[in-house]
Amino acid sequence: MDAAESPVDALWPCPEPLLEEVAAAGPRDRAAGLAFALARVPEGDTRPLLFVLPGDWRRDWGLPCPHGIAAPEFLIVLPRRAEDALWAMEQALRSGACAAVIGAIEQATLTQTRRLDFAAREGGAGAILLRRHNDGLSAARRRWRIAAAPSTPHPLTEEALGAPRLRADLIRRRDGAPGSWLMEQEYASGRFAVADRLADHGPPSAAASERAGRAA
Amino acid sequence: MRGQSHADARAMLPSLAGVPADRAEERAALVALADWCRRWSPQVALDAGADGTGDGLEGLLIDVTGVAHLFGGEEKLVADIYRRLGKAEIPARIALADTAGAAWAIARYGRDEARVIAPGGQRAALAALPVAALRVNAATVAMARRLGLVRIGNLVAMPRAGLARRFRGGGSKGGGSKGGGQGDGIALVRRLDQALGIEPEPLVPLDPPPRHIVRAVFAEPLLNADQVANSLNHLSPLLARQLEEAEQGARALTLAAYRTDGRVVGLDVRLGRPQRTPGVWRRLFAEAGLGRIDPGFGIDALTLAAGIVEPLSAIQAALDGEAEAGAERLSALIDRLVARLGTRAIRAARPRASWWPERAARFVPAQDAPAIAADADPGRARPLLLLDPPEPVEAVVYGLPEGPPQRFTWRRVARRVARAEGPERIEPEWWREKRGRALRDYWRVEDEEGVRYWLYREGLYGRAAPDEAAPSWWMHGLFG
Repeated sequence: MDAAESPVDALWPCPEPLLEEVAAAGPRDRAAGLAFALARVPEGDTRPLLFVLPGDWRRDWGLPCPHGIAAPEFLIVLPRRAEDALWAMEQALRSGACAAVIGAIEQATLTQTRRLDFAAREGGAGAILLRRHNDGLSAARRRWRIAAAPSTPHPLTEEALGAPRLRADLIRRRDGAPGSWLMEQEYASGRFAVADRLADHGPPSAAASERAGRAA
Repeated sequence: MRGQSHADARAMLPSLAGVPADRAEERAALVALADWCRRWSPQVALDAGADGTGDGLEGLLIDVTGVAHLFGGEEKLVADIYRRLGKAEIPARIALADTAGAAWAIARYGRDEARVIAPGGQRAALAALPVAALRVNAATVAMARRLGLVRIGNLVAMPRAGLARRFRGGGSKGGGSKGGGQGDGIALVRRLDQALGIEPEPLVPLDPPPRHIVRAVFAEPLLNADQVANSLNHLSPLLARQLEEAEQGARALTLAAYRTDGRVVGLDVRLGRPQRTPGVWRRLFAEAGLGRIDPGFGIDALTLAAGIVEPLSAIQAALDGEAEAGAERLSALIDRLVARLGTRAIRAARPRASWWPERAARFVPAQDAPAIAADADPGRARPLLLLDPPEPVEAVVYGLPEGPPQRFTWRRVARRVARAEGPERIEPEWWREKRGRALRDYWRVEDEEGVRYWLYREGLYGRAAPDEAAPSWWMHGLFG
């Protein structure tokens, strides 16, 4: 694929280790946000994945299911306090032992997010903050807002679920213009690709307007 | 007085206050004191009592073999124990002798001025003491008295075989109500020989003493955590050298601080792989809370022990050097996280081969996790997030009794199902369940907004026996 074809290709998968933020558009989109965050982890990295999930995440959303995640090996850190969560995330990034660290941390100041960004570059690991909102100050290089979208129609039957899709809004980025894409998960790799370039799925604009109508 | 009933005591002194004995509490206090006594020797045992059947609340036995010279001799050692216990306001009677039996007897029945028995002097020292000092039961003592054997000196001269025979089974009527059981000549002879040092009596220490331990004793008590950290910096290289000579690495380290008020505060750190790098240890202790250690009125001794060691010879780089370095970095990271957050806060997924979703998705503490994940892929679509426990789903509307739901309410929001896939029927694993569980029919469901759920119906419609609950719907997970 030509990089000029769509600007999102240059962002995919996450090309360099830095801090990104993935926020859910609504409470029901948290799982879609996590799926998107997982897809941002660079492929082919044999280092394990690390989740930092404070108590409220565990209570509300449970734990990642080992059979539902494509990552071969992952660790979960369950800190009791918010400052421990930030500390664990920074340590894990800095150690260089993890491919990526995904943390569900809501309260983080600008300074704290900047520390995470530095740690990510130091350890060569991707850092992703899963958040409820991303309208506060943050040093994250890219800030995404993810919403679930109806899956692709199944080729054989109307009742069954097709390939999962989600709407990814890049609402702020340091190095370019923001954008909005309808993305579709490829069955084999678990990766997301821009849906409108895949065959027979119709223009993404329809889904986008539908989406906008729901948000309003 | 020991063995006296409460009613008798009240009759003699009506104003007597009675407090029920709390054996568990007493034991905990004695064990804490035993821990503290390790400042003198690593081998501290609870005394099993007069006839060897007590629950270990009679006193403490400290094996000071080869230890006394560190404190300037036996007299000074005993004086030191008295002084420090006195400071902590713990009344004690202490005796030191060649054998545990002799020390036990002198501590309880001996004169105050002669508490340290010179090597080989126990025969003379015990001669004047009553037979009860030999740790035998009351029936045996009563019987000895009837035979005119009042002092240990009377027994020493007698032939052992005759002594043992004379006491055998004969004490049935002399036992009284409180002594318990019969006179036991064999035990009497054994206790006598143990006290005299003819028969060995090994102590069973409270915890086996660590093989690798270093200690520092301070003339001036340490008063803050910085000083503790400082002396830890001195102790760690000493322990590391000890381990290096033995070609071992530490998997678990314990720093114990002996406070002047008779308590021990400690810190434990665990390591994922054997280590003997003082710098790594220091950092782990710092994260485990070295700065928060409470010195109380002062810490006058520190020990650093390697509780669990594993062979660690000279570092050898594996052929696959890169992977080895990665594994080392990961285990160092896990150690640091565990030191601050606790063992249970860091988990690794170790799936089990089971169809039952809760059982298949298992997490174990990462430090104990086997290096290689068991591959137990169920080969079916599993959600990204698994709710624990499953949450009830209300107001389910379905078309067919065994079909997918059409509408449901979860977390107070009504959702309309657009598409559904299933069911995937999972039967309970009856060979593992304690009680009967209903089967589950799992559905992958997408609502109109594109959110994908994994929900199940427990039980079957129309098949439940009258006394069984009706089928219920549960939310178990979310797909990305």
